[in-house]
Amino acid sequence: MTKPTQRIADLPAYLSHELRNALACIHQFGNILVDGLAGKLTGEQREYVSIILENASTIRSVLDTALDGAAPAASKIRTKI
Amino acid sequence: MDKTKILVVDDNFTIRKGLSIRLRANGYEVVLAEDAISATAALIAERPDLVLLDLGLPAGDGFVVMDRLHKNDRLSHIPVIVLTGRELAGNRDRALNAGAAAFFQKPVEDGTLLFAIKKALDVSRGELRFDE
Repeated sequence: MTKPTQRIADLPAYLSHELRNALACIHQFGNILVDGLAGKLTGEQREYVSIILENASTIRSVLDTALDGAAPAASKIRTKI
Repeated sequence: MDKTKILVVDDNFTIRKGLSIRLRANGYEVVLAEDAISATAALIAERPDLVLLDLGLPAGDGFVVMDRLHKNDRLSHIPVIVLTGRELAGNRDRALNAGAAAFFQKPVEDGTLLFAIKKALDVSRGELRFDE
């Protein structure tokens, strides 16, 4: 059985993986709806999905700060291209 | 002209589905794999133009897939973009050093991902240098 200290040490990696995957699903399918890829939304439906997406972005910001430091989201991306 | 083919490797069915919808809507052909073994098989059978690769996978991880790709002369030219839920520390630099063209943490903006895909494809086709 894993020691409690090891479980605590593994917590950030576990939280990052699980929460970021769940957020990615919300983000992907919210944008699929907003962009009309699953059919045209009414103005009211678009507004509600946008509220979901805005709040998902808030959770993402909290995660970035809590798990990877307080750097802005743009700095989380590094490319060679 | 054949469509540009992207291999999406992720163990999460919902993420595979969401990426498929987005990529197909942007004119790409999409093939899917859910673990390191099926990803390696798909690389050989499908010869994709680009790989979108998760790091946390069953039966090996994304680094294993990248290693197999880069050790195969017929596949090593294929650009890899890492899209992961893993923490930055220890993963971003390792992925880029292992040959990834770009590293993104989930969730990533669709526009950002699509731009990176286009740029990685342009570089791999010799239409753009890495520093452009």
